[in-house]
Amino acid sequence: MNFGDGETMNFEERRKQAIVEWDALQKSPKPRILVGAATCGLAAGTEQVITAIKNELARLNLDALVTRVGCIGLCYAEPIVDIIKPGRPRITYSKVTPEIAIQLIRDYLVNDNPHPDLAMGTQGEGGIEGIPKFWELPLLKAQIRVSLRNCGHIDPESINQYIANGGYKGLENALKMTQEQVIDFTKKSGLKGRGGAGFPTGQKWEFCYKATGKDKYLICNADEGDPGAFMDRSLLESDPHSVLEGMLIGAYAIGTQHGYVYCRAEYPLAIHRLQIALKQMKEYGLLGDNILGTNLCFDIKIKEGAGAFVCGEETALMQSIEGKRGMPRPRPPFPANSGLWGKPSNINNVETWANVSVIFDKGADWFASFGTQSSKGTKNFSMAGKVVRTGLIEVPMGISLGDIIYEIGGGIVGGKQFKAVLTGGPSGGCLPASLLDLPVDYESLNQAGTIMGSGGMVVADEDTCMVDMARFFLTFTQDESCGKCVPCRVGTKQMLEILERITQGEGVPDDIRRLEKLCNTIRSTALCGLGQTAPNPVLTTLRYFREEYEEHINKKYCRAGVCSKIVKSPCQNACPAGIDVPRYIRFTQQGKYGEAVAVIREKVPFPAVLGYVCVHFCEAKCRRGQLDEAIGIKELKRFAADHDTGIWKQNNKIAPPTGKKVAVIGSGPAGLTAGFYLAKKGHKVTVFEALPVSGGMMRVGIPRYRLPDEIIDREIKEIENVGVEIKLNSKVESVDDLFKQGFNAVFIGIGAHRGLNMGIDGENSLGVVDGAEFLRRVSLGEKMKVGEKVVVVGGGNVAIDASRTALRLGAKEVTIVYRRTRAEMPASAEEVEAALEENIKIEFLTNPTKAISEKGKLKVEFVRQALGKVDQSGRPRPVPIKGSEFTREYDMLIKAIGQESETPAGFGVKTARAGRIEANEDSMITSREGVYAGGDVVSGPASVIEAIADGRKAAVAIDKYLGGNGAIEEILASVEVPPKYVPPEIEGEQKRLSLKMVPVRERLSNFKLAELGWDDKQAGYDCSRCLRCDLEAH
Amino acid sequence: MADINLTIDGKQVQAKPGMTVLDAAKLAGVYVPTLCFHPDLAPYGACRLCIVEIEKMRGLPTACTTPVTEGMVVKTNTPQIQQFRRGVLELILTEHPHPCLTCWRRERCGPFDVCLRNVDVTHRCVLCPKNGICELQQVVDHIGIEQVEFPYVYREIAIDRENPFFERDYNLCIVCGRCVRVCQEIRGVGAIALTYRGSNALPGTAFGRALLDSDCQYCGACVDACPTGALIERNRKWEGAGERKVLTTCVYCGVGCQLNLTIKNGKIIESVPARENDVNRGQACVKGRFAIADVVHSPERLTKPLIKKNGKFEEASWDEALNLVASKLGSYKKEEVGIVASARCTNEENYVTQKFTRVVFGHNNVDHCARL
Repeated sequence: MNFGDGETMNFEERRKQAIVEWDALQKSPKPRILVGAATCGLAAGTEQVITAIKNELARLNLDALVTRVGCIGLCYAEPIVDIIKPGRPRITYSKVTPEIAIQLIRDYLVNDNPHPDLAMGTQGEGGIEGIPKFWELPLLKAQIRVSLRNCGHIDPESINQYIANGGYKGLENALKMTQEQVIDFTKKSGLKGRGGAGFPTGQKWEFCYKATGKDKYLICNADEGDPGAFMDRSLLESDPHSVLEGMLIGAYAIGTQHGYVYCRAEYPLAIHRLQIALKQMKEYGLLGDNILGTNLCFDIKIKEGAGAFVCGEETALMQSIEGKRGMPRPRPPFPANSGLWGKPSNINNVETWANVSVIFDKGADWFASFGTQSSKGTKNFSMAGKVVRTGLIEVPMGISLGDIIYEIGGGIVGGKQFKAVLTGGPSGGCLPASLLDLPVDYESLNQAGTIMGSGGMVVADEDTCMVDMARFFLTFTQDESCGKCVPCRVGTKQMLEILERITQGEGVPDDIRRLEKLCNTIRSTALCGLGQTAPNPVLTTLRYFREEYEEHINKKYCRAGVCSKIVKSPCQNACPAGIDVPRYIRFTQQGKYGEAVAVIREKVPFPAVLGYVCVHFCEAKCRRGQLDEAIGIKELKRFAADHDTGIWKQNNKIAPPTGKKVAVIGSGPAGLTAGFYLAKKGHKVTVFEALPVSGGMMRVGIPRYRLPDEIIDREIKEIENVGVEIKLNSKVESVDDLFKQGFNAVFIGIGAHRGLNMGIDGENSLGVVDGAEFLRRVSLGEKMKVGEKVVVVGGGNVAIDASRTALRLGAKEVTIVYRRTRAEMPASAEEVEAALEENIKIEFLTNPTKAISEKGKLKVEFVRQALGKVDQSGRPRPVPIKGSEFTREYDMLIKAIGQESETPAGFGVKTARAGRIEANEDSMITSREGVYAGGDVVSGPASVIEAIADGRKAAVAIDKYLGGNGAIEEILASVEVPPKYVPPEIEGEQKRLSLKMVPVRERLSNFKLAELGWDDKQAGYDCSRCLRCDLEAH
Repeated sequence: MADINLTIDGKQVQAKPGMTVLDAAKLAGVYVPTLCFHPDLAPYGACRLCIVEIEKMRGLPTACTTPVTEGMVVKTNTPQIQQFRRGVLELILTEHPHPCLTCWRRERCGPFDVCLRNVDVTHRCVLCPKNGICELQQVVDHIGIEQVEFPYVYREIAIDRENPFFERDYNLCIVCGRCVRVCQEIRGVGAIALTYRGSNALPGTAFGRALLDSDCQYCGACVDACPTGALIERNRKWEGAGERKVLTTCVYCGVGCQLNLTIKNGKIIESVPARENDVNRGQACVKGRFAIADVVHSPERLTKPLIKKNGKFEEASWDEALNLVASKLGSYKKEEVGIVASARCTNEENYVTQKFTRVVFGHNNVDHCARL
């Protein structure tokens, strides 16, 4: 061919020239600036950054090469700008704004300040102090770039840059083989289809190769349709030639002449870059007749799809290319024999083709060296959802889900609890935390009920309702079903209908069976993959999160607080006792503090105690928290309780005596709550307390500087006022005795007061104290001698309480050792904060191994821990580091790693481990008729509010047992004028007020209250931040 | 090519290459229920009722789409198949009024009976023109379904009565696609297609336009393909079952389409193109399909020859008429006669006409109105 500008170069010359150009670029005396310009970058503002860079360069009269590159996968960090100064390593800067870009040019290009504070990492030889190596970053270390090898490195619109980086070498290698050899080579690599089903690629090619017929078709499936998936788009936008080269190799192996790339029209940039690439290939003799001087004749057309999910299904895709309605048809006949236009056709996914080209460049064995025995190579995933680092990743097959989510993804946003990960998009399934160590390969995922899929990975946290998630995916498949076959068209609609009812609180128990029946029918009888896999999200959530379905159906409760029809407000939904938070916040805002307390009292008899010490599950779910900070619900409760007018008593009703007697064992929050409501229902309640004081853990577990005596006394007094009799110093050993005394029912609420053993040598040495016991003895007024140096083992609230108490008893130096890190600490954040303020040291990743008492001193040996793999609780498992042992001397060691219950055998109830009583979670009934239990003795060490919730449930059940109606719900506050929902005006961040504390110096000498409450102004301000979710939803 | 041997429910069958499992099952006398299958149309595999188990094949392939292969072992009625078939049929019934389909009294029910189950009038089988000949009824009776445990979705779409020939009642449509496929595959017209996706998918015209504005030729092939009462010829809608059928040749033109006329009370109530012939193979045009009865029973139709006497037409016998024509023709010279035949005549009649001209008059002065 002669185009007038001399003889066209042959390919070898082109390659040489490309390499020369590339080398020159690498050694360029000019600085180079690479900007991520795939869709992710453009969406994040790359264009503005490029403009700013160019303007600044022009203004400063600097000469630099600005190149748009593709996506390196760190979509969360876009816009990403890489700066390469001659002689310096390449520095990657993340989240670059036009201002930062200008600053970088001035400071780094002009003044040689590389800004380690803004940099992510360096690539290439050499390093820069203060900047880590890019590929050593935790999120990149576990990744291997095979199909994404060039993404983010080369200019996707330059064929020369692709060729200089080994491009089209694979094709040349393949063309030297026979067709059979190419197929065998592909088989040897172990490559399986990356579109989702995982069919061996070489075998697929062989079928089509052997099919009779002259005209054959080759298709690249770029109809990426999973919600949250963008692997193929990134690849096409960042390195189109790698895909097209793969297609050429496939075309040669199979003997096809016609190629199609079926790409959805919503990917304009991908299509644009494909078009450029195809034009370049024609120019270079890589398309058309006699490619590279061989017999290979092949042409590629781009077919833009209209964005139907079903067109990702191969037969539907071919129908769509033919101009027909995209509907799948049953196989056989398979496309290898009768596909596009009825001719033998072969179709592979974008990622598969990108792998093919590199396999023929670097070898089948090289490729097979990655991955597992049965799943070779790497897989691309697009990570989305509630994970810290969203983006495109490429990992070796066999990596665990936990590694992907925690190491690469950086864990869950906001330190929330991981709940599920969905692989395979709407055709896949949701896997729970217990499967976080599941290796990611085709077989393991299938066994777990999901599929590899094309690589969409959506991470859900505790705030995701699994029923709602299943419902969402069903709306998708239901919408995207082509409507051809009955199971998919009608079945998914029926499933969706059931799921919608469940999420609206209108589910019935039979719904789960019907859902399962529908799932089975659809999975077994639907025509194509879309239908057959559509039930997967429901099947897997039913398998792993069945309890959430049951809660929605039986209790009209959504634990994630998502389903708005049954969730009045997220805070109320999160409260175990169901306190109507938004209503009491409104009363507080109006200055009606008595009414506010009445609202709280509608659900709990301890408003003030909770105001001081509640663990506030509500605040964790507060929607305001997603904007800036949660409302101070606990503080507002304390404020209202401190200003109570006692108005609730006006509506407080006590039923006439029923003549029935109830015994309550233990005067903790569970027992007193049960007793309170039972007394109000007219039963005669006697509370037996073993200790000389009432209140249980409220009194002897929580130190006085957090909860003063008078607060507890005041509220217990009200309980006595409704007729509850409390007998102190009365330890009960036998339930039979109580029944003999004429009691008709018994509630056991004896708590969990005995500390757990650490299981180390010297545990019983002098100077080793149990944390719960320590706090109890201090509360009961015992003068405990703590010595000067105290170490506390544990990470919960007891550990914090014990350490702060020790400090107040005169310890000079208190250290807490905890085997995990701050992020995993179960103690309340504000308690940890207060402890740190009081100069208590916390040593993380440390665990005791030995304690020896010597001459009045305690020698404790510790070992350092490292965080290992994430375990099923979603927390990394601590692993001792061998050889890191060290010994320290203390006067006292307080172990606070949990407590157990001391349930006397005479109770005659079934117990589980740690002395816990087995009780039904709804009625709190034990294995024995007439005997109920609640609080820590059932749940293990928990919180006041959970104990209160148990007490309420038990009161309902006991009242019913004694012939009552079990109705303990009451309205104590005045009727609210139905408030109209006015959307709150939110201007910028309005954080909540910090808590006022007594100065540390004044605190440590006594047990006076450490935390000062809000005044009316401060409380009013916080009330005004409430978003009034309860009004919005209804 | 050699026959293909396979086993269906334990029976040995010899099928021809290119046959499907469903074809082979028919040969073996095994009934496999179908709804979207139509013998004139390409395999579709949408209703999923003909699922079968085939050894060495994954899943449950559909008999209507799976080609036979040598040595195939097919089971059409295992407990698993029955369970899933019932599951699918139940789903089909959620889109079609079904209280009567699951009622044991259906066959004894009369149009004016009081329904003990209080079924809505619009939902009663007995009031559907397809009652007794409905394919859905046949399938339900074969598979056997006692109750449908999923809610029934009545589409609540008004019946489409805008064309003079047939009505479309979407509330009875099971989206088998037969109307669409016959329009596209057999007629090559494509006036209708499946519109929308998912549970909104329904046969219809492009952009929801009126059928009159589409390419529809009103051939009625869709009506004949419909397995339920969703497409019904307007004229015959309330006529009920006929008394007898008469196979005849269409009088409208020379093609010779074979029509099955349904007769009731001595009148034609319907004319449906016959399938078992090589002329029209189940197809007709708008005239043959919808305009036979009107013409046959028109009071203006000539049933006897008329002879003009004194400027007025008078009824005459055939002998009279033919004698008159013969005598008049005899008065001309052969070359003075030319004969023009009618397009309404059958092919055979036209053949005789030209033969008559050429043999009796010895020339080619014969023509036909349709030639112009």
